[in-house]
Amino acid sequence: MTAHAQFVRPPRLATWLVNLFVSGEEESMVGDLCEEFWQIASKAGAAPARRWYWRQSGKTIAHLFCTRFRAAPGRTVAAIVGGFFVGGFVNGLPDKALSAVTDRYLLFWSSHFQAYLWVLKGMLIEHLILSMLVGCIVASVAKGGEMVATITLALVRCALIGAALLWVATHLPSDVAWMLWSLADPFAIVVGGAIVRTRRSAGRTRPLPI
Amino acid sequence: MAGRDYLGEFEHMIVLALLRLEDRAYGVTVRQEIEFRTKREVSIGAVYATLDRLESKGCVKSHRGDPTPERGGRSKRFFRVTPKGVTAVNRTQRAFEKMTEGLDLIRSYS
Repeated sequence: MTAHAQFVRPPRLATWLVNLFVSGEEESMVGDLCEEFWQIASKAGAAPARRWYWRQSGKTIAHLFCTRFRAAPGRTVAAIVGGFFVGGFVNGLPDKALSAVTDRYLLFWSSHFQAYLWVLKGMLIEHLILSMLVGCIVASVAKGGEMVATITLALVRCALIGAALLWVATHLPSDVAWMLWSLADPFAIVVGGAIVRTRRSAGRTRPLPI
Repeated sequence: MAGRDYLGEFEHMIVLALLRLEDRAYGVTVRQEIEFRTKREVSIGAVYATLDRLESKGCVKSHRGDPTPERGGRSKRFFRVTPKGVTAVNRTQRAFEKMTEGLDLIRSYS
């Protein structure tokens, strides 16, 4: 290893992403990626090593995604279907709560319209938090396949939102910008899965610093 | 004759790489050996997925080495071929030889 290579580190984001998919016994896979990164960095420099690392990480994640799904298809599908219905139920709650409040204090909101708009924005944040919670629940159920379950659920949600967006764009074009917010929900589901996965991984033995 | 006694294409390559590498066979060396000989880019995830499958079939065994700093403190996982794996690779190799017997692949089909 050259002196220059000693200061080069594998991309942290790529390592974190791979770690989201590996189990405790597969940590040697991340070790292999690091070792080859050093080899390439000392021979060809940091930039080619980083490019190689990202390419390998992407391919490895794709493989692990399929492997995890095949390892426990029943539990993963159950978690996704359950998450879909739970998500549908809880995402409607903020709207119902807000409607109840606004209907009760109509006079107040009509004289404080800015506050009303602020509450509407707050509802979008509530949606995100609830989606993240759904992601956490799905990940907790799909033990070992946390990221597979949450990413698949997010993709299903993305497809449905995409279809809804198309419909809205043709029938109510003025509401498209408002609906774009809902694309953040699938992302929040994946974040929820990543939180659960990271917490579970934290219980494992910590590797030595590079 | 049980179908499961034959190895898939990538399994075949992995077992041959393990046999070549002997005591030095772990993720990095296996990946590099296949890439060097076949000129085909292989992901470490594919190598491990196949090695795990071969281990569950009883064709390879693995053990852990010591953690090293250049691996971020993670240990190496060494692999070796079991007698069952050697039998499987021989059977697969013979099947390929039988299937290609009498075929002039270069002249007739290129």
